Amino acid sequence: MEKFYDIIHQAFDSIRSQKLRAFFTLLSIAIGVFAITFSGSLTNSIDSTVNAQIESLGRYTFFITKVPAIQMGGNDWFKYRNRPEISYRQYLDLQEKTEDYAVVTGSAKSTGFTVKFGDLETDPDVTLVGTDHNFFLTSDLEISNGRALLQSDIEFNKNFAIVGNDILVKIFPNNPDVIGKEIKIDNKPFTIIGTLKPKGALLGQSQDNIIIIPLSQFLTKFSSQWEQDVVLIVKANNPVEFSYILDETIGQMRIIRNLKPWQDNNFEVQTNESLSDQFGSLTGYLTYFGVFSGIIALIAAGVGITNIMLITVKERTREIGIRKAVGAKKRLIVLQFVSETIVLTLLGGLFGTIFGVVVGGGLGIFVGTSFTISVKWVLISLTISVLLGLASGVFPAYKAASLDPVDALRYE
Amino acid sequence: MNNQKLILTEHLSKIYKMESTIVAALQDINISIDYNEYVSIMGPSGSGKTTLMSILGCLDSPSSGSFYLDGVDVSGLDDDDLAVIRNHKIGFVFQTFNLMPRANCIKNVELPLIYAGVPADERHERAIKALQNVGLGDRMYHKPTELSGGQRQRVAIARALVNNPSLIFADEPTGNLDTKTGEEIMKLFADLWRNGNSIILVTHEEDIAKHAKRIIKLRDGLVIDDNINPTPIYI
Repeated sequence: MEKFYDIIHQAFDSIRSQKLRAFFTLLSIAIGVFAITFSGSLTNSIDSTVNAQIESLGRYTFFITKVPAIQMGGNDWFKYRNRPEISYRQYLDLQEKTEDYAVVTGSAKSTGFTVKFGDLETDPDVTLVGTDHNFFLTSDLEISNGRALLQSDIEFNKNFAIVGNDILVKIFPNNPDVIGKEIKIDNKPFTIIGTLKPKGALLGQSQDNIIIIPLSQFLTKFSSQWEQDVVLIVKANNPVEFSYILDETIGQMRIIRNLKPWQDNNFEVQTNESLSDQFGSLTGYLTYFGVFSGIIALIAAGVGITNIMLITVKERTREIGIRKAVGAKKRLIVLQFVSETIVLTLLGGLFGTIFGVVVGGGLGIFVGTSFTISVKWVLISLTISVLLGLASGVFPAYKAASLDPVDALRYE
Repeated sequence: MNNQKLILTEHLSKIYKMESTIVAALQDINISIDYNEYVSIMGPSGSGKTTLMSILGCLDSPSSGSFYLDGVDVSGLDDDDLAVIRNHKIGFVFQTFNLMPRANCIKNVELPLIYAGVPADERHERAIKALQNVGLGDRMYHKPTELSGGQRQRVAIARALVNNPSLIFADEPTGNLDTKTGEEIMKLFADLWRNGNSIILVTHEEDIAKHAKRIIKLRDGLVIDDNINPTPIYI
């Protein structure tokens, strides 16, 4: 133990004495480790937030859509594109046929609208959601003032709007009393019947720059005849029979879309599980990318460290000569230089890890995901740092240990 | 083993093979040195005296012949075994001091004790004692760069003595010092000899060699003279 302590102490001594060189070495390792920890922490943050988000929609809810939420690879694109849209009629049919065991919400969404009140108007970036009276049962949006949509609003195609906070701030800067006011969405008049509780941002995007109107209004006024695609959100009434309800609903949907028994579904069914799986594979790619670039950076750092240690050995030839003259065995010299390298890489790794966790987590906060410290990634990074020190320190250390003491003592 | 010698060499030789030529740095060296002797090895540069010191100091191995140190045949030992022998039996003092510039005097003197596995407290104590013995009790926490040449050489001597070696090698110990300081160092060596240490002084200067009680002269790798010095200085 005595010797071990001495060696660590010597390692710190020689790092202190060569601050600039140590700094650059630390930097290169820090960058590599940063890439790994950063991507690990970031994807961790995204994962947990997305999962929480999906979870908040309710465990017994699933989606029926024309195309999958996330598409990877280009091969299926044409297959999805040529599917018929899910129409308003199909939405009503499904709602009616499943009313005994499920609540079906239709929703359609588009973005880039301008909202006006008097002289004030928003940027053309408002998201418009057309939906129905069931929407608030299946979404985590809440009404703060006024009321939600009623079934009659949809049936009678009322031009009513429930307005998000971002829009209120812009067009009603000083007026808290907005219920009953008439606004214009892309110059079409709507009456405000309610306001939404602010939700903040997710993944860097505000969730409050939104207006909710009846689905029938959305389809007739804001989407062309050929793209009347409705997303169906189905919530099972009885959680215990969820899988049965899922099958039953799919069966009804096939009937509604006139599919023959031998034909594949021409729509996507996404449960929370399948959604989080898809997100999982997306963040998985992110992680691989981070780890891959981190490893490249670390290999470069490793080569750099080996080089720096070789120079260090050369510069300290005399010192090595002295140590050998007073009785240092080969393996102690090896141990000394390897541990110096490891102390160096571990310090770099530590800085990189701290950076990675702070920046990764900080970016997580910035884009609205939660801050999570990934212990797994911290441990992986530190282990990699030690292995890197070992790998890049061994060769210079052996070179040092095999110096001839007589020559080393005379080295100028 | 009454007649055991500190150093005994038999037909010792060292041959360096260059690319095309073979250089015999030492040829058929037969020396015997007793305990508590004070010997100068003298010769011009290229005479082989440094090679001889390297071999006698266990820094290098001979090409042929045998070498007994303290009664042990060390000519066939490997690097690590030689390191242990250097650590326990030999102290070196060099012309260029060879101190570690970033470590203070105590740390420098402690170095052999670290490799001997001496516990930290004892190490510290022994280093302080060794420094006091060479008259540097008030400079212990200074770094070599803050010391004069003479003081640096005293630190090196303290380091050479700290592990109680059987033998001290001094390789041109006054080569980097002015005459007056050099004389002080030579007086110190005389004191060390009087205290029972065995000293081998390697030098090319007649004046320095004359401090020893016996002078071995080398030329072209051969011993050409080996005589008692009737008038050693300071002794």
